[in-house]
Amino acid sequence: MSELIEVEQLTKVYPDGTRAVDDISFVVKGGEVFGFLGPNGAGKTTTIRVLVTLLAKTSGRALVAGHDVDREPEEIRKLIGYAGQFIGIDIDLTGRENLILQGRLHGMSAADAGRRSELLLEMFGLTDAGNKRAGAYSGGMRRRLDLVQALVHEPPLLFLDEPTTGLDPQTRNALWRHLEELRAGGTTIFLTTQYMEEADRLCDRLAIIDHGKIVVSGEPAELKAGVGGDVVTVALPEGTDVALVERAKRAVAGFPGAGEPTTFDHSVAVPVKDAGRSLSEIVRRLDEEGVPIAQLSFTTPTLDEVFLKYTGERMRVEETGHAQSSMFASMRSSGRRT
Amino acid sequence: MARTMQTTEVAEAPHYRPGAAPAGYTVTRLIAESTAIFGRNLKKIVRIPMMLFFSLFQPMLWLLLFTQIFKKLGQFPQFQTLGYSSYLMFFVPSVLTMTTLTSAFQSGMGMVADLEQGMLDKFLISPIHRSSVLIGKVMADASRMVMQGALILVVAVLMGARIKTGIVGAVVMLVLAACFGIVWAGLSNIVALRTKNSEMTMMIGILLTFPLLFLSTAMMPAALLPSWLGTVGKLNPVTYVINTARQFMNFGYAWAELGKALGIIAVVGLFTLTGATRAFRKATS
Repeated sequence: MSELIEVEQLTKVYPDGTRAVDDISFVVKGGEVFGFLGPNGAGKTTTIRVLVTLLAKTSGRALVAGHDVDREPEEIRKLIGYAGQFIGIDIDLTGRENLILQGRLHGMSAADAGRRSELLLEMFGLTDAGNKRAGAYSGGMRRRLDLVQALVHEPPLLFLDEPTTGLDPQTRNALWRHLEELRAGGTTIFLTTQYMEEADRLCDRLAIIDHGKIVVSGEPAELKAGVGGDVVTVALPEGTDVALVERAKRAVAGFPGAGEPTTFDHSVAVPVKDAGRSLSEIVRRLDEEGVPIAQLSFTTPTLDEVFLKYTGERMRVEETGHAQSSMFASMRSSGRRT
Repeated sequence: MARTMQTTEVAEAPHYRPGAAPAGYTVTRLIAESTAIFGRNLKKIVRIPMMLFFSLFQPMLWLLLFTQIFKKLGQFPQFQTLGYSSYLMFFVPSVLTMTTLTSAFQSGMGMVADLEQGMLDKFLISPIHRSSVLIGKVMADASRMVMQGALILVVAVLMGARIKTGIVGAVVMLVLAACFGIVWAGLSNIVALRTKNSEMTMMIGILLTFPLLFLSTAMMPAALLPSWLGTVGKLNPVTYVINTARQFMNFGYAWAELGKALGIIAVVGLFTLTGATRAFRKATS
């Protein structure tokens, strides 16, 4: 598909001299979910605000659906939905009124906007709160309402700046499911996130951004392959003597795609290019040597490791508060898939 | 080439609503958008009656207290010869003007709130004409000023005031005061958009407004003011607004004076509203 977003050498320097976005280039194709993954202050929000025509860039080129962000912002605004990192709801209006207002601002009739709002309130569990003042909403509800505002007019291109930050796991899942539905329906989605899990699940392609620069981009699988492939671990039965472990180690070494195996306790770990395809070879080789297998498992690298490799640091989570770090902790525990 | 094709593709995507993007921008569209924003602003006003009354508190206090403090003044021959039957009859137009000026501060504070609450971003991200945000706001501000002004007039009538030109006069007085209020709200919005701080907007609003009221004929007829103050008063747009309202209240129809007052308001408005539009553009780009 052709490019829906084209960014070339985009740079944004704020009046105080901060180089928030530094000479980045990327494209987003129509129909894909493209993610910007990076820590706070990496330049994610700045990029998105330039693309949604809320912020003037310093230099470079940015086209959305073929329209230049500087020259034809009106054309871009007709096509996009945007939910920013900061909530923008009118606390004196009810949730429903907020949604209808958004619909009307995007040219929908009051009746159309009303019907659509009803549907979205239902979908995001806000029906009961629909007639309450948004000022009385909890933080999570406000966040949801804000997100839903971007969906009222069914834009073909959706910009979501850290959409799940501050959401409870249940709503996060509901949003992910909805975004997947939207993608299936042909909506193009540009999102930013601090969460590896989110980028991994949703994004067709992603760019890792840090200190205003794109450090690497590609498909999640591609990026993960770039940090070294999978690791197959063979556990021998408890109490297996060292000689047998060494024999197993020699057995699994030296076939195409395999790296140097290592042993620990009564297990042998061998890095391989593709775990799925190597398993049978490993089993066959161990069988030939008469090595008994107690357990066989493999792991694939996570985006967390991709990030670590390209930025030289772990994702900075300490600045982002409790909700996020706890979400991160639960992610880590399931980090390596077996 | 490829780019042109892309545009067409988007336009024909299933999620695309043709209603959201007419080819040419029309006046109908501007009205629809402004009305949507006006409706939203009006809901906010009606929904928090406290805010409506809060800004009325001070003008009401003035109406009740000043008419007592200066009650005797109304019986002095110098005052009587000017044609006012009481200080109340003289003072009501001043309170009316003060009401709309006080209300005008709220306009800027509302703008700061919209900025802080991210509502402005929501407006700017939608394909509406930028002017509709300001038009919708001005319309809502004007409605609030007319509502507040009407309440002041009702209280004044209950206190014994009578408008010589009747309902027509009352409407003229309200519209005139609201027009001036809107022009003044422009100033409040300039401060709001430059400082992006609600307390600062309030403080500067008060600082700009009260001297203006005292340096006019709001408290005392020009004839009874020290000559320097009378001269300063002549340069003060507030004087013309209040004097015109006073004509309609006390003496009869004064269309020429009304025209002059509206002209002066227009000139002031040219500066404040252009300034506000410029500040808006600057704050939102």
